[in-house]
Amino acid sequence: MTTDSGKTMAVGAATAISDLTRKRRRRREMLYRLCALPAILTTVCITLVPMGLLLWLSLQDQRDGGFSLRYYIATLTDPFFLRTLGTTLSIALGVTVTSIILAMPLAYLLARKTLLRNVIMPVISVPRMLPFVVVGYAMILLMAPVTGVLIQALNALGIVDGPIFFLFDWPGQAIAFGYSGIVVATAVLSGVLMSVDRQLEQAAVSMGASPLRAFREITLPLAVPGIIAASALIFTTIITAYSVPVILNGRVPYMISIIIASNLLTLQQHHLAYAQAIIVTVIAISVTVAAQLVLVRYGRRS
Amino acid sequence: MPRGLLRVFANLGWTVYVVAIVTWLLFPLSLILLSSFQGTISITTDVSNLNVSAYEAIPDRYWNSLWFTVQISVVATVTALLVSVPAAWAMVRGKLAERRFLSNVVLLPDVVPHIILGIALLTLYLQIGLARTWLGMLLAMLSLSLAMGLRFTEALLEGLPEEYELAAETMGANKLQALVLILMPLMAPGLATAALFIFISNMVTFELLFFISGPNASPIAVRLFSDIIDRGIMPHSVAMASIMIYISIAFYVIVALTLGPKYLAGSTVSRKG
Repeated sequence: MTTDSGKTMAVGAATAISDLTRKRRRRREMLYRLCALPAILTTVCITLVPMGLLLWLSLQDQRDGGFSLRYYIATLTDPFFLRTLGTTLSIALGVTVTSIILAMPLAYLLARKTLLRNVIMPVISVPRMLPFVVVGYAMILLMAPVTGVLIQALNALGIVDGPIFFLFDWPGQAIAFGYSGIVVATAVLSGVLMSVDRQLEQAAVSMGASPLRAFREITLPLAVPGIIAASALIFTTIITAYSVPVILNGRVPYMISIIIASNLLTLQQHHLAYAQAIIVTVIAISVTVAAQLVLVRYGRRS
Repeated sequence: MPRGLLRVFANLGWTVYVVAIVTWLLFPLSLILLSSFQGTISITTDVSNLNVSAYEAIPDRYWNSLWFTVQISVVATVTALLVSVPAAWAMVRGKLAERRFLSNVVLLPDVVPHIILGIALLTLYLQIGLARTWLGMLLAMLSLSLAMGLRFTEALLEGLPEEYELAAETMGANKLQALVLILMPLMAPGLATAALFIFISNMVTFELLFFISGPNASPIAVRLFSDIIDRGIMPHSVAMASIMIYISIAFYVIVALTLGPKYLAGSTVSRKG
């Protein structure tokens, strides 16, 4: 027995052991992959394949099936489409900003006052778990040109005379979107503001800042991630909403989803609708991704 | 003295603001409830003749739609959790190199706008004959529930230390036993919450299902929508809308009772993602 052969044996045993662990690790990784497989497969079949098909068809000529970019070119040079896209984006932007501003003080109050939160939060969360159609019903009962409660009240008070038709115009849609925007913004923002340490504010106030200044310079910057997340959520929901834009639609479509749906369902311009759908998807996903990127950067800085 | 006066005004301002915004959020919904009990869409302040005639007039197709929505919501929720628990376990515990990629794939249905996914599913379903069918609707709902389910279960598992499972394994349990005996009981309350949230957001899904629904497979949100387009607003539709409000209230009562109101704040669940 020399030391040499002992060394060889030891090395051999070590290789065998590391072989064994490697094999075991590989088997374990296979098990993990197998567990994740059903979820992945389902999503691939029900989301990736249809989206891929949509993209593929949008690049095909509807009559002869050849490759063509004509639907994208036609859409992006169509002044009617672009104008509607413009109104959609501006309504969405306006409503998002307005709901954030209106919801901010309430969210702050709810985040700081536990009693108030326990009473108000469940009550104002109810609209969040309703189909948006139901909000449309509520808006009609409130503001329908003749029977709406608000219109009747204004008539009874003598402020206006006769029906008012703003519900079936862009203001009506903006109000309906603002309604659910405030609900979402309050929930998201109060969650974020709750996680902001209130001792920071108290420190600022004790050092002589006014409560308003403490809020503006301490709390608000810390709540920016929540504001961004809530804005992206509200914005993308509005630009792809369908039910309320149809229910409250007037003669001119204000929302892009209506154009897509009418191309698809009534005008039989399927491939044009697909191309427009892809364009809207790109806009919506860009907004979400941009928000994510800003959040990541913001998180790294602070 | 002016300082005290200032505070009084500030408090008054806060109160007016809070009352105004809460009223704005609740008043329209209370109009639906009031209208449903007056049996007319032209609401009056007269509350002496409240009745349930609008509820009695709800036609069968509404009840069928509601029942249909409950059925597919339940099946989609249960299936989604059954599939997403092992997936989340693999992603959190597996330390696979491709974890971020895999989990983003499953979360994709949350990022794609629902209306576009609905249109995409319609094109696919038309080719394979699933359009306007029970199964087609269920699968569409499943993709959404799965994304929500994975987010919930991943967060749940990340909150549970791996040591419990490892300890069980050291003491002779195999992986499956460790999962069933240790992990499942720890996850159960969180899973129940997740199921509740996924179920209710399935119940209110509209944009995703609108394009692939048909007369025989029509969820309640789509039914309420197409009726208002076809016939205008009717007392029995308002009654059904009220029932949706009751369902939402019941959901929040259950959440508040089981988890406490604190759970309602924050972005734990949202309409879209």
